[in-house]
Amino acid sequence: MSKKIEVDDELIRKLADLMDETGLTEIEIGNEGHSVRVARGGTAVTYAAAPAPAASNAGSAAGQVLEISHADHPGVVTSPMVGVAYTAAEPGADPFINVGDTVASGQVVMLIEAMKVFNQIKAPQGGKVTKILVESGSPVEFGEPLLIIE
Amino acid sequence: MFDKVLIANRGEIALRIQRACREMGIKTVAVHSTADESAMHVRLADEAVCIGPPPAKDSYLNIAAILTAAKISGADAIHPGYGFLSENAKFAHMVEEHGLVFIGPSHEHITLMGDKIAAKEAAMKAGIPVVPGSDGGVATFEEAKAVAKKIGYPVIIKATAGGGGRGMKMAPDEASLETAFRTARAEAESAFGNGDVYIEKFLTKPRHIEIQVLADSFGNVVHLGERDCSLQRRHQKVLEEAPSPALNAEQRTKIGNIAADAIRKIGYRSAGTIEFLFEDGEFYFIEMNTRLQVEHPVTEMITRIDLVREMIRIAAGAPLGYTQDDVKFIGHAIECRINAEDPVTFMPCPGTVGLYHTPGGLGVRVDSGLYTGYKVPPHYDSMIAKLIVHGTNRNECLMRLRRALDEYVIDGLKTTIPLHQRLVSNADIMNGDYDIHWLEHFMKEDEA
Repeated sequence: MSKKIEVDDELIRKLADLMDETGLTEIEIGNEGHSVRVARGGTAVTYAAAPAPAASNAGSAAGQVLEISHADHPGVVTSPMVGVAYTAAEPGADPFINVGDTVASGQVVMLIEAMKVFNQIKAPQGGKVTKILVESGSPVEFGEPLLIIE
Repeated sequence: MFDKVLIANRGEIALRIQRACREMGIKTVAVHSTADESAMHVRLADEAVCIGPPPAKDSYLNIAAILTAAKISGADAIHPGYGFLSENAKFAHMVEEHGLVFIGPSHEHITLMGDKIAAKEAAMKAGIPVVPGSDGGVATFEEAKAVAKKIGYPVIIKATAGGGGRGMKMAPDEASLETAFRTARAEAESAFGNGDVYIEKFLTKPRHIEIQVLADSFGNVVHLGERDCSLQRRHQKVLEEAPSPALNAEQRTKIGNIAADAIRKIGYRSAGTIEFLFEDGEFYFIEMNTRLQVEHPVTEMITRIDLVREMIRIAAGAPLGYTQDDVKFIGHAIECRINAEDPVTFMPCPGTVGLYHTPGGLGVRVDSGLYTGYKVPPHYDSMIAKLIVHGTNRNECLMRLRRALDEYVIDGLKTTIPLHQRLVSNADIMNGDYDIHWLEHFMKEDEA
């Protein structure tokens, strides 16, 4: 006896379009209980109802797959530790930086809190902030992309 | 029962803990270094948090990172596995201070057994026979000479902050005592930050026999029999078996009860192992390990008790639910530790696993995080798999182990499987006739 599996064609079409747009050859997304994998080159779409062998990272959604290009960006600033990221010095204060700002090397761009200690994240080089990748108060892991300075 | 457990370890033991939690319906958080992003337990866990770069001191030994990961993931308990922080009393204490449960004993017992001199005193007080030796630490060479003269040569000088086979120097006679004593102190100071040493009689042909105990927080204690871990190279165990071919039922019951009584007396909670040297029918306490051990599977195979599950249940406040009379020993089990090393030179050989095929069939168990395409990281210890085999008696177990080793395929790396194949066909091993020096002699004959 097997459970009826519902086919979400809209999702599959969306993933296929995404592959065309980005030139990827394979996309797999999943969450608790389901995963979908679409691969180019004539191989069939696979549905797996068992827990997927790909763990989800703390604080991120299934859309993680779309962000892999950020980690390889030459201007990416990654988190040097696991903790909670804050974009302002205190609640209600102005954020350290906004998208479009020009920053100098060594300028404080974010705080990461761990064990009640706030650690300053400084810009490794000067440039323009083109993307801020985390929301204030969200958990981040070691190596997670925080922002992009070009 | 816990809702979410954080696994503060890596490799096969992290996978072991993941499996126990999954079977109990407990969600898991796998903390890992960047080198372990594709580890099997990370893939299987419900959540994963990268806590640092490859070096252990920045990741698996990084208390702040692990506690932070626990906080942000909302874990309510931490299982430390073995090695790393599992016997770090400061970590155990901090876990509790942060409102989490440390799946293991109290930090006070970790401290007690971590100080090898204090542990020996506690053992003596609790009625456990100990190796004849100095009464506490030995501070001067004059003292050392007097103690050695009294207990008789050969003697061994041990670091109080050592353990696990580290920080020990043997002196076969009075002439060599001074060098051994001073070197032992210097090495202890540099390796452990504590140069204090004590002296014991050096037993010439002992077996290493350890007793597994389990205790809940209500004073209920059971022993789960012994493991014979005499096959060691440089104080690292290579192959373990349960029960020991050297003990009869009477000896097993006697030492098991001594161990369980001592554990009860000191109010210990969780899993633990009391290690003895066994020579000429006598047991001598050497140390207690306040954690789960690598070789726990052989005990699981003969008692059918899931030790990781029991540790979690006990930590969650559940009573054992069974007594010593309920513990039955069925058949025989042997474990082979398989390392990514050259089987002759023992040079570490990390690499990418090619074709991977595990042995199967009745009574065959493989505890390993390996899979085809997995890159074994070079930053950690070289053990990559444990092959555990069970049989209705020791001979059947050996036959099955021989068969299972022949089936096991790990392409792409050098492993110590060939060494194990030679061991299980060796007459002494087949007769159960070996002591803690046997394997070193066997390897020396190779070089000859």
